[in-house]
Amino acid sequence: MATDTRTTVSEGFGEVSRTVGTAFRYLLLAATLVGILAVGVLFVYVGNDAIQPLTADPGWHLTFFLTLVVPTLAVGGVLRARADGSFRVGLESLGLLAVMPLFAGGVATLFLSVLPALVTFSYAVALGLVVATVVALMRSRRVGFGAKLLVVGVATVVSLLFVPGIIQSLPFVPVEWLLVALTLGTPVAAIAGAYATSSWNDRRTGRIAGAAALGGVVAAGLLGSLIGFGGTAATILAAVAGVPVALYAATALDRHPARRDGLLLPLTVVGGMLLGAFLVRTVGFAGPAAWLDWAFLTGPNSITAEDAGIYPALVGSILLMLIVALLSFPVGIGAAVYLEEYAPDSRLAQLIEVNIANLAGVPSVVYGLLGLGLLARMLDEGLPILPAAIADPLGLEPVRVGANLFGIGTVFVGGMTLSLLILPIVIISSQEAIRSVPPSQRQASYGMGATRWQTIRNVVLPKAFPGILTGTILALGRAIGETAPLLVIGAPNQFGLPQELSSRVGAMPLQIYAWATTSGTPEFYAKVIPAGVVVLLVAMLAMNSVAIVLRNRFQS
Amino acid sequence: MADNSSTRVSRRKFIAASGTAGALALAGCTSNDSGDDGGNGGAGGDNGGNGDGSTTTEGGSGGSLSGEINVTGSSTVYPLAQAVAEEFMGQHDGVNITIQSTGSGGGFQNYFCVGDSDINNASRPIAEDETQLCSDNGVTPVELKVATDALTVVVNNEADFVDEITFEQLDQIWSAEEPPTTWSDVDSDWPDEELNLFGPTEASGTYDYFLETVIGEEGPGMRTDYQATENDRQIVQGVQGSQYAMGFFGFAYYSNNPDVVKALSIEGGESDGAVEPSLETAKSGDYPLARPLFTYPATEALADEHVAEFARYFVEQSTNQELVAGTVGYVPNSDEEMQEAMDALDSAIESA
Amino acid sequence: MGADNLDDSLTTQTENSPRELLARSFFFVCAFVSILTTVGIVFVLVTEATTFFSETAGLRGVTGPTVSIVDFLTGTEFSIASEQFGVLPLLSGTLAIVVGAAVIALPLGVATAIYLSEYADPQTRKYLKPALEILAGVPTVIYGYFAVEYITPLLERYLFPDIGFFNALSASIVVGIMIIPMVSSISEDAMSAVPDDLREAGYGMGATKFDVSTGIVVPAAISGIFSSFILAISRAIGETMAVTIAAGASPKLVEFGTVGAGPVSVPYPDPAYFLEPIQTMTSAMVQLLFSDITGGGVAYRSLFGIGITLFVITLIMNVLSDWVASRYQEDYD
Repeated sequence: MATDTRTTVSEGFGEVSRTVGTAFRYLLLAATLVGILAVGVLFVYVGNDAIQPLTADPGWHLTFFLTLVVPTLAVGGVLRARADGSFRVGLESLGLLAVMPLFAGGVATLFLSVLPALVTFSYAVALGLVVATVVALMRSRRVGFGAKLLVVGVATVVSLLFVPGIIQSLPFVPVEWLLVALTLGTPVAAIAGAYATSSWNDRRTGRIAGAAALGGVVAAGLLGSLIGFGGTAATILAAVAGVPVALYAATALDRHPARRDGLLLPLTVVGGMLLGAFLVRTVGFAGPAAWLDWAFLTGPNSITAEDAGIYPALVGSILLMLIVALLSFPVGIGAAVYLEEYAPDSRLAQLIEVNIANLAGVPSVVYGLLGLGLLARMLDEGLPILPAAIADPLGLEPVRVGANLFGIGTVFVGGMTLSLLILPIVIISSQEAIRSVPPSQRQASYGMGATRWQTIRNVVLPKAFPGILTGTILALGRAIGETAPLLVIGAPNQFGLPQELSSRVGAMPLQIYAWATTSGTPEFYAKVIPAGVVVLLVAMLAMNSVAIVLRNRFQS
Repeated sequence: MADNSSTRVSRRKFIAASGTAGALALAGCTSNDSGDDGGNGGAGGDNGGNGDGSTTTEGGSGGSLSGEINVTGSSTVYPLAQAVAEEFMGQHDGVNITIQSTGSGGGFQNYFCVGDSDINNASRPIAEDETQLCSDNGVTPVELKVATDALTVVVNNEADFVDEITFEQLDQIWSAEEPPTTWSDVDSDWPDEELNLFGPTEASGTYDYFLETVIGEEGPGMRTDYQATENDRQIVQGVQGSQYAMGFFGFAYYSNNPDVVKALSIEGGESDGAVEPSLETAKSGDYPLARPLFTYPATEALADEHVAEFARYFVEQSTNQELVAGTVGYVPNSDEEMQEAMDALDSAIESA
Repeated sequence: MGADNLDDSLTTQTENSPRELLARSFFFVCAFVSILTTVGIVFVLVTEATTFFSETAGLRGVTGPTVSIVDFLTGTEFSIASEQFGVLPLLSGTLAIVVGAAVIALPLGVATAIYLSEYADPQTRKYLKPALEILAGVPTVIYGYFAVEYITPLLERYLFPDIGFFNALSASIVVGIMIIPMVSSISEDAMSAVPDDLREAGYGMGATKFDVSTGIVVPAAISGIFSSFILAISRAIGETMAVTIAAGASPKLVEFGTVGAGPVSVPYPDPAYFLEPIQTMTSAMVQLLFSDITGGGVAYRSLFGIGITLFVITLIMNVLSDWVASRYQEDYD
């Protein structure tokens, strides 16, 4: 947009009725802010109900004001006044420090409550073997593509069929946290290494960064189990939160050493929190009687308000998001690539585009009916690989697979339904990201003799990736709050921890709805529901903020 | 709300305990006893014996059970089932009980009889066509009475003009035929003020029961211009908010919040004179709007040990005064009623 | 991926290799999933709805109660207990929500779009746009809770002492807030697409910024603005959880009053409808999920009757919005 010319041109005009113009301008601003402020006020209300800050001692507030608020404002003010970018570094690292532990918590719940460490590890090893095969084959140029495909296929089947069983039957296995450290730390280290390689343009640095990441994760696990924090939790915290924060700080400082001072900001905040916590404990100031506390986050639901926790719903939501991400991300990108790169103007592509635009407008409750009618009822017996209509005349037994996955309200059906629901959004935003890759870059690639797929893999997708990721995260942020489709596919009102993909689905918005409708005592309304609402809002806001930061960073 | 369950470990204590249990062995390896990997451990610890009727079944206690149990059905029985399931899951780590509040009939029609749930709760006995549907699909329900409810009619605390009401008056107020608009339309002694009515939605078994018992199944049906909600609290809030309001719902919510609204004594049915709703009058059968609550496990599902165990536990707990009356607010079973249900259940488990 | 790698793979492949075909078919299958989704939705809605309507139920071998399409579309009573499945009371409730939401979202959304497109500096936009996105991102179950727990009591205390515990007004307020970003973002795109030449021509004639915004930009972007209205309304029609929680479960038709005297009397919908509990198509669907007191499954099957109606309505809205956007789009090239 030619914003600049527009404003410079407009500067000289409009003197005649300045008051009308000014009034109009502020009227517009007010209109823009009405909705935002209204929702902001509601957030304050619900946050107040959940945390009840006014129940704390005045001394508690004063202590934290002096140890946390004042120093943070002072440091922030100084950094900002210097205007050399260190304030930005400070803010960004603070943001990472605030958000990444939330995601670490999400990953941790999966490892602690749903995925047994040994099983996960065994499958991770099997997958790792497949990836290793693929990489090794890619290097070799003597083998033809068909042969490679065959080898990879065989390797996948063999590895997934036998390796997990062998590992699970070993007489001695590493302790849980070490298993998790290897399962989670290896890919994290690989990503960290690749990131470091590309940002320093040096393979050796990359290797060092990767090794340091893996070492750090294992060390954190060991330390965690030593001090009684929990080895698994410490491992996951280090892998999901520690490595990215360290990597961010290292790259930011390496690029602009002068901005080193920006790191003072997170240090001040963390130090202030620790000091404040120490002081209030020593002096004995009571904190707020918050309903949203550790016990609420980690407790099962209950019929009595004071015992009700959100943990099963939290785990259910995270499991659902995992399925939705795994299903909708590849399919969404694939569809966008097809529409943008392969068939931009064909009849079929136009039909698909119109269809996607319409799907984006279909109410979520109708997607629920799709899930109920098709996935839960018609496929109840499993996906017909060999339907009875064909099998019977041939005298064969009909073959159906996945009978336990489909059915009323299973986690799998819930994840599928939500994936289909957000797929149009993922496709549309991925298309935009792909479209924003300049055609000249594609042409350069083709000009060098690259095929379409090579151009897509080496030019288009790497360039469009941040945009695609942003769109997907925003879509996941929508999926995490969806209630109606889950209700329609037969989600229960009361549920425990989901044990497997065939468990009946539970999720945070469902839990809130269940509290609001079936457990309607005043205490539930005044305390438990606000606490649940805050947890769900924090999850949604964390996802949105990551997406927005990503977008701002790469939109240039 | 008082801490009304001695058996339940407070969640705060539980967290503290599992936190300390988290201190792990530091050796690089442990011996691999796979097969028991259901959850994060620590929770199986505290099974505290249950006051009355402790488990005497084979396979027994201690969290060795695992699997899913899907419960559907009546929203009236829902809180009771939830409370029992909560206790049961606290004792059996690997069992995940899901409960879906679908209404009695919806549960039978759409879930239970087509094999999509293991247990269906109902605030009325199973109907003939439902039994037929079930047997068409090879599902055999076992009727177990688990508690008694007293449907409660409430008015505002300030409504000092009315303390008791007859079936006829209730019929007149709630029937779709010439529904009165003011209190004085019903009884000239009552004030000339607009009736402000709150009740459950048509989906609920409570509505169904009220319709059948007070207005009559063949009658004109229930008026539709009242404020309908699934949520008892919202009925109470509505009644609290208006001096000339009336509402009705299950006894559970009223017994937990007896001060916020006034329950009317009811005259009608078999009773002599007006009877106030209470656990005693409901138990004795004097209160005319008392009704039994049921749960229906499928015989086929009882073949699974964890389902059978949960069904036994449900029946055992039906005499638990603290749980049924205290936490939930229904009338517990007598020992005979419990024994009767247990015998029915045991023979069903035998045949499963 | 380094530059060497790129060169390596560039030199060894040809356009029609198996690898190319594999990639192409994978991408095609992904794109085809969306077609399958639509086919699936239509298939499920049609197969299930035909068991509900008496015209078609016989063909499907359904025994038990059914409802004729005409009765369904023209019935003025919706009652599960008495097996009356007229969709009009639900449509009336949905319309109330739509009208209330539109009154809030359309002016606010357009004003926001004008502000963002014409007045706000890039820095302000950078903060306002994500904040607006959050309005659309807040889970609707939370909006429903906000409406019941905070908005209705406020309305009761300060504006309408007679308001019902459940009411259309508070639900339509939250639905209005949540569709503001839909109006503003599509309208803003349309306004941004208006070429600067037009604005500058306006300034050249001595117009003020106010004149340019309202006299040039808005008219030039009007097709986009209308298209955004239609899409936002379509979203309001399909909104489920907020209305289920806040608007109540009492299906009823709006009542009409009349103004005027003698032979000239104009009926108008009674605004008191907004203060009463109502039921929309979507919230009826949620309620039907949890109910079948009469047996025979007719209530459950009516879910799909309402579902297909809802699908058709929103489909028409989407197509209409597309048509408006393309039919009246100014071509500036």
